[in-house]
Amino acid sequence: MLQAHSFLWHYLWLAPNVLLLALAFLIYRNGLRKIFPAFFAFAILNSLGQFALYIADVAPSITAESFWRVDWASLLIEGPLKFAVVAEIFARVFGSYDSLARLGRLLIRGVGIALALTAALAAAYAPKDSLFGIVSGAHLLEQTIYLIASGLLLFIFVFSAYFGLRPARPVFGIALGLAISSCIHLAIWAVAANAGLPPERRVILDFAGMASTHLSVLIWFYYLLVPQKVPTKSSVPLPENNLDVWNRELERLVHQ
Amino acid sequence: MTLAIVLVIAAALALIFILGITVSRSLQVSETAGLAAKIQPIDVAAFRNLVDPAEDDYLRRRLPASEFRLVRRQRLRAMAAYVQTAGRNAAVLVRMGQSSLTAGDADTAQAARQLVDNALLLRRNAAFALLRIYVALAWPNSGLAATPILQGYERLNGSAMLLGRLQNPAAPVRISAML
Repeated sequence: MLQAHSFLWHYLWLAPNVLLLALAFLIYRNGLRKIFPAFFAFAILNSLGQFALYIADVAPSITAESFWRVDWASLLIEGPLKFAVVAEIFARVFGSYDSLARLGRLLIRGVGIALALTAALAAAYAPKDSLFGIVSGAHLLEQTIYLIASGLLLFIFVFSAYFGLRPARPVFGIALGLAISSCIHLAIWAVAANAGLPPERRVILDFAGMASTHLSVLIWFYYLLVPQKVPTKSSVPLPENNLDVWNRELERLVHQ
Repeated sequence: MTLAIVLVIAAALALIFILGITVSRSLQVSETAGLAAKIQPIDVAAFRNLVDPAEDDYLRRRLPASEFRLVRRQRLRAMAAYVQTAGRNAAVLVRMGQSSLTAGDADTAQAARQLVDNALLLRRNAAFALLRIYVALAWPNSGLAATPILQGYERLNGSAMLLGRLQNPAAPVRISAML
């Protein structure tokens, strides 16, 4: 069952990308394309890249080296797109609040730089494979992309939770799906790039990665297309207390 | 192999944090109605006394250096407790304001937006103030500016009053009373 080119393997590679392409179409039809342009581009290009990679894998005429070249090309497109989606999430969560936007931008730049340095260090200390440099290089690039992406997404989650902010449902869904996928892929590529597993064991990592992508796509479907339950009360009841005392004391406090 | 283990642990911890935040978010949806009860009242007079630089100067002049440091640390700890409460109240107000952001009435939505922005500012200032208080705890003789907190309170009070007035004209000023 958990073997390369088994039915499950084909399903897990193709189904999430077919669904992602369908999601892009539905996003276009619902008018969400203008609200989430980066995610819309990511949904299309990521699924097309994976289709190209799948064809390169199953077509007997394509050599192993050509497969890895396609993988590199796909990664070089997907990587920046993932960061564009993260930037879009950040802008949607914090951009509309003047009091937080500047501090948030400052902090996320700092976190981004720290993560890039950490990823560079991790790549520098990873074992090098001189025989199959194109393969180990692709693994390291995956590890680098997912290390930075998951770190940035963790920052967005923690920062918004600290301030009690509740992002809109579609933004939260995009962030959650991407974060789950990034964290699981980070673990997978860290093992693939550093643990020196034999090829037959690496297949399990492939299955885990593809399953996490499938889960993320389902999360995106749920949060982007299933409407939120309308709360029975639009506003919360106001607490009872003595405002006069508070105001008097506050004025004295501020104007001292 | 060590690097792989470190990265796998880091990824697992990040995933746990993110899922934890997601679960707490979904739990918060069901308890929106009881939010107001989470706001804790603050003794403004006591807080005002604690952040008064003149009080510190007076104590510095009147007390021996070692005793002053002891008293100052106690005052700073009390100040930190007040600021933490103010920060928590601000976070609750962010959620209360966000629940009114989608109100059909434009004035209410605008007031809610103002409340959220000011509450976020207060939460941010509370974080900075706490940082400064903890630094001051290490060096009790250093100065401490709590002005941003006070300014944040003033703005938050105005926003909460306006939102309260728009949401419930019969009892317009209750929300900010508990800050």
